[in-house]
Amino acid sequence: MLDFIIKRFFQVIVVVLLALTVVFFLIRISGDPTTLFLPPDAPKDQIEEYKELLGYNRPLIVQYGDFMFHAVQGDFGESLRSQEDALGIVLSRIPATFQLAISALLIALIIAIPLGVLSAYKRNTVFDKVGVALTIVGQAIPSFWLGLILIYFFAAQLKILPSGGGGTAIHLILPTLTLAAYSVARFTRFTRSAMLDVLRKDYIRTSKASGVPTFRLIMRYALRNSLIPIITLVALDLGVLLGGAVITEVVFSWPGVGRLLMQSLMNRDFPIVLAGVFIIALIYALVNFIADVLYAYVNPQIRVK
Amino acid sequence: MKRFLIMFFAMSMLFIFAGCTEGTSGQDEPSSDGNNDQKAKDSLVIGFEADAGTLIANLDVNYTTDTQIRNIYDSLIERDGQTGEYIPSLATDWENVDELTWRLTLKEGVKFHNGADFNAESVKFSIDYILDEANQSFYRSRWANVEEVKVLSPTEVEIKTSVPFPSLVQRITEDLLIMEPGYVEEVGTDVAAKEPVGTGAYKFVEWSRDNFLKLEANEDYWQGEPAIKEVEFRYIPEFSSRMSAFLGGEIDFFKNIPVDSVAEIKNTDNAKIGEVSSARINYLALNTFHDGPLQDVNVRKALNYAVNVDELLESILNGYGTKMTGPLAVINSSYVETDDYGYDPDKAVELLEEAGYDPEELTLTLDTPNGRYPMDSQVAQGIASQLQKIGVQVDVKVNEWGNHLEKIQNREMGDMYILGWGPAFDPQSTIENLFTEGAPYSSFYDEKIEAKIQETNAIFNEEDRFEGYAELQHDLVEQSAWVPLWQQADLYAIKEDLNFEPRVDEKMQVFEMSWK
Repeated sequence: MLDFIIKRFFQVIVVVLLALTVVFFLIRISGDPTTLFLPPDAPKDQIEEYKELLGYNRPLIVQYGDFMFHAVQGDFGESLRSQEDALGIVLSRIPATFQLAISALLIALIIAIPLGVLSAYKRNTVFDKVGVALTIVGQAIPSFWLGLILIYFFAAQLKILPSGGGGTAIHLILPTLTLAAYSVARFTRFTRSAMLDVLRKDYIRTSKASGVPTFRLIMRYALRNSLIPIITLVALDLGVLLGGAVITEVVFSWPGVGRLLMQSLMNRDFPIVLAGVFIIALIYALVNFIADVLYAYVNPQIRVK
Repeated sequence: MKRFLIMFFAMSMLFIFAGCTEGTSGQDEPSSDGNNDQKAKDSLVIGFEADAGTLIANLDVNYTTDTQIRNIYDSLIERDGQTGEYIPSLATDWENVDELTWRLTLKEGVKFHNGADFNAESVKFSIDYILDEANQSFYRSRWANVEEVKVLSPTEVEIKTSVPFPSLVQRITEDLLIMEPGYVEEVGTDVAAKEPVGTGAYKFVEWSRDNFLKLEANEDYWQGEPAIKEVEFRYIPEFSSRMSAFLGGEIDFFKNIPVDSVAEIKNTDNAKIGEVSSARINYLALNTFHDGPLQDVNVRKALNYAVNVDELLESILNGYGTKMTGPLAVINSSYVETDDYGYDPDKAVELLEEAGYDPEELTLTLDTPNGRYPMDSQVAQGIASQLQKIGVQVDVKVNEWGNHLEKIQNREMGDMYILGWGPAFDPQSTIENLFTEGAPYSSFYDEKIEAKIQETNAIFNEEDRFEGYAELQHDLVEQSAWVPLWQQADLYAIKEDLNFEPRVDEKMQVFEMSWK
């Protein structure tokens, strides 16, 4: 088991370093940040001077080596705009992103699992068909559209909820619903199909024949056995949600990591972008790492392989 | 597995509650109770598109930072909000001792928010802050000509420049904000950047990143007690969300209304549109750095005849904008009226043929940003279709803003591009940065004109200087240096009962506002 954990953890490190490398080169290809920070009337020699000061005139590979050398020590440099520690700025946005991600995930699970179970159990009934239709709609609705519609209806027209911002539980309602919509749809469909698979199994038929009550049959025998693939999906979605829901955070002015990353990318504040990518890649890889370890714990076959 | 699920739920709840109490805390019960009409009329919430980069003065050259911190810090010289003329602020008087020396007289009895006295030392400290390389101020390039700042007495300061620097007054007005030396030295720049101290009308209260900045009135303000007691800049990056927040009564005003949303705001109860012709100008640059047909003056003239600016203004901008005919806007201190090419497609075709081009065979490129200036990419499409009427094919390229700017600075642009410039109150910064070989922002160069620009920039006598720029304006029009478009109209959505006159320099000085 320890071997397995060490191996998997090594993979986490590789994934994070690879992500940093890819993003480092991608944003450098997009251009040089100096021009955006200097006033537009800055003469050419001044621009060159700043490039030198910030190190952007060195060969790309040297910049990369320098960046990696410091990054592995947790030093991503200072924000070009505010001259504060880039990693610190990103970390200060994590609580807001966690708050939104976890509440969206909880809402999604609370709605999706009963819905999926019922759809599977009442397969091919009107209930099931409406459920499936709703999940397709849920997955198809773009979140910026849903977000704006919710804001327009609840904030601009009814004036009962704030249009955005962060802080109290009341600020959380609309962005959580927007963010949960997609996950609800995914989880419901997944739960339904996982349940359908299990419900077809012989042991379910046998249990049913031997008179196990329906509720107990579903909860104890069927749902428990469908949960493993659902955990994978939840882990994946949690990774994505914790990485900052860029669109939802922007539409609802939510002060999280996604919005910070988006703005920093527009401003070409590269140290923040890289620190942000580091954190997101790390969270994503760690969540998956934990899911893998849990699997191995639950199912010894996996760790043997 | 059950244990895992229980743990997961427990952890989740922990995160949510932790998140509610710290990190993003600080916001009072939201104005989501909706009906703000009942609110006591001494507070103001401004919907603002982006957070400040920092709250320390003289570091970040950025509209979003500058607009907010100008309520906390004062400048030495101000602009009149409507005419753009210089007016005294913390400096009561300024004069040239000689071409390289400026002397400023400072106001007495002004105090910083922490009780310290404002004096010549604070002016010296603030300029030195810009000049000190270690601070990496992005303003430094504009102040490179300043050699030394001398304190003559507590109310007198002398600035020495390395070359004659007539636009120093403009730099002082637009860039320099006065910081409290004792405070910055005591707490360090990191803290001063988060909890600023100035002499301004508003004192810092709280800053929640990407969330809000809260200020309170400085009751001892040297210009008098501010009418509005509490101010909040609330950061709402998305326009539609800002609009909903305004319609829902959460914010009292916001800037940059797209022309197609004006009608909706006008039709809303307790809302009005504020409009001002800004000192920011938009133009179509004709790139003479690029080896192509636009190096020929006749081709440039043809384009001036073929672009129908009035039509663009009416059909795309719904009339919001003030047409320009020359290099400077009416608001500019050296503006003179220049000839208008007008719209004459036949003349355009004639000139192109004279230059040896068959309009039907000519293809030009036109680069535009998207969303940087009012309706910019639509304007580019409009220009393309107008040129197509005389047979010229235009290949429109829409660029992300950073790329657009970089292509201009690296001189990688093709034939034409859309750009804005501003605030353009002063003739020197506009003409020097747009029509010389060293400055790429309209990518125009002509040897004779360049010599004249350098000559005029160095003139100290005001009348001669005015005369010089007047001639230059006519010459640039004659050379068809660019296709001038318009001064942008700055549009604001404002609560009906808020007294607020939008300023020509885009600033939001809450001190000038009050509730009816």
